[in-house]
Amino acid sequence: MSGMDVASATVTLRVNRFAPRPERERAARSGSPFGRKSSPFGSSSASARRRPRGKQWTQDYVLHVRPETTVLECLLTVKRTMDPTLAFRYSCGHGMCGSDAVSINGTPTLLCTATVGEWAKHAPAAASIDDEGFRHTGSPETIDSSSSDSNIANAHGDNAADLGVIELAPLPGFPVQRDLIADIDPMLNQITKLAPYLKADGVLATTDEGKINVFEYLQRPEQLAKYEMLSNCIACGVCEGSCPVFAGGDAFIGPAALIAVSRFVNDSRDTATAERLDMIDTADGVAACQSVRACSRHCPRGIDVGEEMWQIVARVRER
Amino acid sequence: MSPKHVEEMYDAVIVGAGAAGLSAALGMLHSPDIERLKDSGIDPKVLVISKLQPLRSHTGSAEGGIAASLSNVEQDDWHWHYYDTVKGGDWLVDQDAAQLLAQYAPQTVVNLERMGVAFSRTDDGHIAQRRFGGHTANFGKAPVRRAAYAADRIGHQILHTLWQQCVAAGVTFAEEWYVTDLVLDEAGTRVAGVVAYDTHTGDVHAVRSRNVLLATGGAGRLFHTTSNSWDLTGDGMALTLAAGLQLEDAEFVQFHPTGLAHTGILLSEAARAEGGVLRNADGEAFMERYAPEHRDLAARDVVSRSIMAEIDAGRGVADPKDPHGPKDCVWLDMTGIDKDHMEQVLPQVVETIRDYANLDPAVDWVPIKPTAHYTMGGIPITTDGEVYRWQPATDGSAGKRVIVEGLYAAGECSCVSVHGANRLGGNSLLDACLFGTRAGASLAARIADAPVDDPMADESASEDEELTAPVDRAAEARKEEVAALLAAADSQDASDSDTDDNPYQLLADLGVAMERAVAVRCTHDTLSTALAQLHDELAPRAQALHAHSDVRVFNQEITAIWEAQHLVALADALLAATQAREESRGSLQRLDYPTRDDEHFLAHSMVDEHHDISWQPVHIVDFPPKAREY
Repeated sequence: MSGMDVASATVTLRVNRFAPRPERERAARSGSPFGRKSSPFGSSSASARRRPRGKQWTQDYVLHVRPETTVLECLLTVKRTMDPTLAFRYSCGHGMCGSDAVSINGTPTLLCTATVGEWAKHAPAAASIDDEGFRHTGSPETIDSSSSDSNIANAHGDNAADLGVIELAPLPGFPVQRDLIADIDPMLNQITKLAPYLKADGVLATTDEGKINVFEYLQRPEQLAKYEMLSNCIACGVCEGSCPVFAGGDAFIGPAALIAVSRFVNDSRDTATAERLDMIDTADGVAACQSVRACSRHCPRGIDVGEEMWQIVARVRER
Repeated sequence: MSPKHVEEMYDAVIVGAGAAGLSAALGMLHSPDIERLKDSGIDPKVLVISKLQPLRSHTGSAEGGIAASLSNVEQDDWHWHYYDTVKGGDWLVDQDAAQLLAQYAPQTVVNLERMGVAFSRTDDGHIAQRRFGGHTANFGKAPVRRAAYAADRIGHQILHTLWQQCVAAGVTFAEEWYVTDLVLDEAGTRVAGVVAYDTHTGDVHAVRSRNVLLATGGAGRLFHTTSNSWDLTGDGMALTLAAGLQLEDAEFVQFHPTGLAHTGILLSEAARAEGGVLRNADGEAFMERYAPEHRDLAARDVVSRSIMAEIDAGRGVADPKDPHGPKDCVWLDMTGIDKDHMEQVLPQVVETIRDYANLDPAVDWVPIKPTAHYTMGGIPITTDGEVYRWQPATDGSAGKRVIVEGLYAAGECSCVSVHGANRLGGNSLLDACLFGTRAGASLAARIADAPVDDPMADESASEDEELTAPVDRAAEARKEEVAALLAAADSQDASDSDTDDNPYQLLADLGVAMERAVAVRCTHDTLSTALAQLHDELAPRAQALHAHSDVRVFNQEITAIWEAQHLVALADALLAATQAREESRGSLQRLDYPTRDDEHFLAHSMVDEHHDISWQPVHIVDFPPKAREY
């Protein structure tokens, strides 16, 4: 923490934590689907199904940082100096690997591209959502800061500026596995089910005399431009967590899977367009998209996911 | 995702799912040997184990390009590529391997395109190519456009395409599994399998296999400042050392000159190609003094050394984010580049500087420092990817390579020695894809010879027993270790966590120590100091680590402990190999031995975990060593 200087300030990371109960302690699953309590809210049964059992709590970590510090750097500092048990995925640290999508102040985005200055805000804005999906509207007194007594800010700065609070939770729409780690296999399964690989004709380009003259498939820059942006998807799941249909638990293969299909539909080398459009012309495919366009907001690769959804839906309907 | 069950015996286990591991899987499955096997009704049992989720490999961060003499933009010749690679590696390159690299590069790139990589294109639809440092026409005469690229995201494109093809081929993955042991048979001459830890559950699996391929990537996390992802902890190299095998040329680590201080995130060479200039604390464009001809665009190792020389002479600057910190950076001045042009041709560079330094490169000078980028050395392999032991010459016989049966490696963790003492840009993806595919094909031949599911064979079953026992024993030992690491979390008082050690802190301390001792330059004294600190402080700390939570599910600290232990073991071997090489060559600068010494050190170092170092002659075929000047 050599970086403690005049320009730094305190920030509170308020982390929604979860530690699953070991398998042996877990109560046997109810054998009958009718045994579940019904709810007037359609989505609650889905979210209950997705929520594994275990210990859930909220923990505050107070750090001394500069506003331009990324939230990922903050969490790594927590791991190193305060709490090595905090679990979150991370790898490249600069927005390319797609592993660190979480919910920051309720918005899905990447830990490594989010900065403290951009996301910290003063109470009471940090309203947390409880198990049943309700927001606490009072002061967040339920928050237990079991580790704040060991924080490094106390030593320094009653007079240091306070940037406020950043609330962190796992990516919405996916079952939480531990702390900020969600099980995104449902997304990857949807992508893999839709044949996400080039199906080209396999023919080598030849001259008039039948000699092979080009080995690669030819593709002009304007043909590349039709799908290049789509091919930049890093499968982080931010669009899926932002989608009220997908994250709400309704049957929807999700924007990421549709982007993957669209990438090949728009690739001039691919010969399986009709087959691909058939695959997504289903009730849980393009028909499930409600054009909310929340999926576009935080795409780390800058893909206008909502617009692309619109295009592929139109493509399916125009057949 | 995890496999539904772990097989009794695998035909092949591939560890790592980046460009090399996935290329090996595809090279194997697409080989005629395996196709014949499948036609006869036998499905090879193959498992790809990765410590990350799919598509998270650091391959995805590669920006610039993949080198191949396609001649799509201007005339090129693979012989020139071959020569450039040998020269770039300061003649510590095995020329038979470099020849294969250059010769089969066009085929490799075309195959990637036909699998689906979205390469940037020329106007008439061919794969576009750009210039890259050290790639020339006519054996060094003039720069040539050889790097095939996909905007500045070639690694992402290749990683995703290879994964897509593996999905098409039905490859079984064990994701977020961490391999803790590479197991050989009793005699140490044949591979027996691996032990793997499933991070989802905390379960330890004995994974027996007749063949194992390691493709775990590099070890940039040995250093505090690195362009590498947090996962590049040298696992495959450390597993090899622990199995009693050697590493080749471990002392050669490439430092990319322009890492964004203090993140280490790479700022592409293109920033200087477009007119960026390096300046010291006095504002002087100092590269003119070190490389009058090529100045800021001299070879990577030359520029990195010049930067460190400025810093050592007291002409460094502090990172503006840490103004009272050490003056261990210099400035990258891009203000001379037209603002609009900069946005257009350097979008990723500009974005990185804005997002991670909060500076505007059109107005501000940007702090940079050399960042650990690539390990040239690694697990010694033949050009078919087979791992071998180097048996030094004795009185009666010449030195020879003794193959470890069934063990393969590919990519950055391996050393087929195409990069020698310094890698050229564009050659790493090529190495991973090309030699990964070759290793896969040679693996396929071995599988087809004696498949696990062979209905005709009954003898092999008894041979399998020789593999089963050592793997099961190693797995039992790991199970006990995991239990002990978790039990320690139970017993300790949570409130004393302030004074308590953890692997994340240890990794940070190791990175600082290594950076001080060997980043870019070193001497006998800096090496000795680091070795002493390693033995007296860091290694004992690594052995004493334990978990702070007893929950098995996603207990990341458990894997971090193993990663820290791997890096400590690797650091030890790297320092020992560096100490033994008393010359300066390529990326290795010994201030106490400032010149290249072909008489004594035109040889690959082969180091094992006991610091036993032998020397393997370099394969010189076409290009006798000469001075390396740009």
